[in-house]
Amino acid sequence: MLLMIRSALTIPVLLVLALGSVGVGLAASLSPAAASLAASRVSTPRCTTAGLLVIPNLSGSNVASVTVSGIPSACASASIQVAVNNGITSSFGTGTVPAGGGSVTVNLAVAVAATTGEELDVVLVGP
Amino acid sequence: MNRPRALFLILMTAAAAAAAPGMSPAFAASLGLASQALTPYRTCTITATPSTTTAVVDASVRQASPTSNFAASTTTNVATATTANRRLYVYFDLARCSPAIPATATVRLATLRLYVSALPASCRTIDLFRVTASWSETTITWNNQPFGTTLNNPASASATDTFAAGTPAGCQNLSTGAYVVGANPTADVAAFVAGTATNNGWMLRDDVEGSTTTYTQTFSAKNLGTLAQAPQLIVTYVTVP
Repeated sequence: MLLMIRSALTIPVLLVLALGSVGVGLAASLSPAAASLAASRVSTPRCTTAGLLVIPNLSGSNVASVTVSGIPSACASASIQVAVNNGITSSFGTGTVPAGGGSVTVNLAVAVAATTGEELDVVLVGP
Repeated sequence: MNRPRALFLILMTAAAAAAAPGMSPAFAASLGLASQALTPYRTCTITATPSTTTAVVDASVRQASPTSNFAASTTTNVATATTANRRLYVYFDLARCSPAIPATATVRLATLRLYVSALPASCRTIDLFRVTASWSETTITWNNQPFGTTLNNPASASATDTFAAGTPAGCQNLSTGAYVVGANPTADVAAFVAGTATNNGWMLRDDVEGSTTTYTQTFSAKNLGTLAQAPQLIVTYVTVP
């Protein structure tokens, strides 16, 4: 009888411990991002915080390519994505940062008419 | 009676133990994107050519013609000379950036680009000064310029940035037919964006005015009407540092 009672108590205790371990596991795996998730924002690492010079290269009065320079070696081999939107036309191009960093020229899929105050988005993905 | 129950407990414990480590990799995999470096930048380029535009404003002032306005010129100058010094005033309307640069943005780099059409035979240092008073493109002259007519004023030490230009080998900017490099008024633009300073543009002058030998830098003005040579201000910023 005593053994039955002990066993009856042991099962829930072990279950609680088991589920507790699952909870701890989840918390541990989520804890670094938990604060960011609560703020609806996920922090991502950066390969640099340096100021990159982004020059739109003109072909006539259109932006045909974009040269990004001043890329530090920490970003070597990263994929670089460039998007241009002048409010009417948008275009996109990709490239790869060379070994050692430096500069890279990204050709746009479609040349976009240059406008005053035109903005470019540049994203380095990786390395 | 105890044997099946003990077996059940063992199985339960084993299952729970297997589930716990099994969950972490699953979640880690779903969060894998967060571990990849993403480095975003946004860049606004302000440039324009029509003579009537107010997005870019440029005009030189000339000591030798102290009451004349040169806004309509197709070139701008910086010169040092005994009595014929020249300064360049230039302004870019940051409000033309579309979408607007948020006041909370972090400016990583601001680059002033002037297209060189003539250089002196001496490598000269050119200073950029943030202009602290308003001025008009069509009325500015040597005599009424915001910094006054005193040579070498303001002091070189208060310059926002400097660059060197001239044809000698080794000079930072030694080629005509190209934009100058090294003019980066990043701190000024950051202050303009944050609203802690008013954007009245910049004045460029030779680091040592009043030279007994005349040295003149010539740049393409917006009135040249060639977009590929127009003055540019390129601002690279991030909205999340």
